[in-house]
Amino acid sequence: MLKLKAMARTVRETIPLTVFLFLLWIIFTEKTNWEHLLLGFIVAALFARVSIFMIGGKLDPNLNWKVGLRFFPFAILLFWEIMKASWDVLTRVLRPSLPISPRIIEFDSYLDSDIAKTMLANSITLTPGTVTIDIDGKRFYVHCLAQEHESGLLEGKLERMVAWLFAEGPDDVRSLR
Amino acid sequence: MSNVVKDTLTVIFGLTGVLFFIGGTVGLLRCPDLYSRLHPATKCDTVGSISITVALALQIGLDMALFKILVVIFLLLMTSAPSGHAIGRSAFMNGVMPWHKKGVVPWPLEGGDRWTGH
Repeated sequence: MLKLKAMARTVRETIPLTVFLFLLWIIFTEKTNWEHLLLGFIVAALFARVSIFMIGGKLDPNLNWKVGLRFFPFAILLFWEIMKASWDVLTRVLRPSLPISPRIIEFDSYLDSDIAKTMLANSITLTPGTVTIDIDGKRFYVHCLAQEHESGLLEGKLERMVAWLFAEGPDDVRSLR
Repeated sequence: MSNVVKDTLTVIFGLTGVLFFIGGTVGLLRCPDLYSRLHPATKCDTVGSISITVALALQIGLDMALFKILVVIFLLLMTSAPSGHAIGRSAFMNGVMPWHKKGVVPWPLEGGDRWTGH
């Protein structure tokens, strides 16, 4: 009886990943006859089972459907920031005088969970002239390309956006602006 | 969408991608040290390749291959930042000094000040 329950839990944990992998299979093979679908399903199920056996079936508890919904406006804003950042770096490196003054700065973030800090680090890397070098607890080490980027970073717009996305940190800082 | 509009948009997106790739490569060659080279490598190349894939998606139109393109864009966005981060982090942990202008404190850790002395 107990064994049956454990098996049921394993199957329940495997299903989402299987569905995801199966969708990827369909997208990449572009075939819809039943042999291909069956093969894809078997491969997806096997792969999902092995992966969950190896890494454990739990997603980060801070990820839920609310975060999923809020991710879309966040992603659009982030994409706009990425465009601006790339244009900025492009004009800097193409100008003959090469107006850069790199330095590494450090600051403490009020974000708590690992997933939020990961998101902040990746957003920082993709936006104006800043690359996250290291995270040590709450302390972020960021390489900045010039003075403007440093002040832009310490203003903390990205941090507020990530706080809004994961509903973390102090209440008054969660906003998209 | 008529063909002329589609082709024009494709050319615009393709040229934008090429421009960003040129910028990324020139930046990679001109920047003075490892850390500053990460900037053009992680940013300009991401935008360039996304722009080129968007141009391809416009030519494909509504098709299964469009979803492939979308998956490719997603993976590009997800992978370029962490790979740049990994390179920078390993250099940081091994104590590679960043290049800096005179008078700027380039290093937040203890002893960072002595590197401004030249």
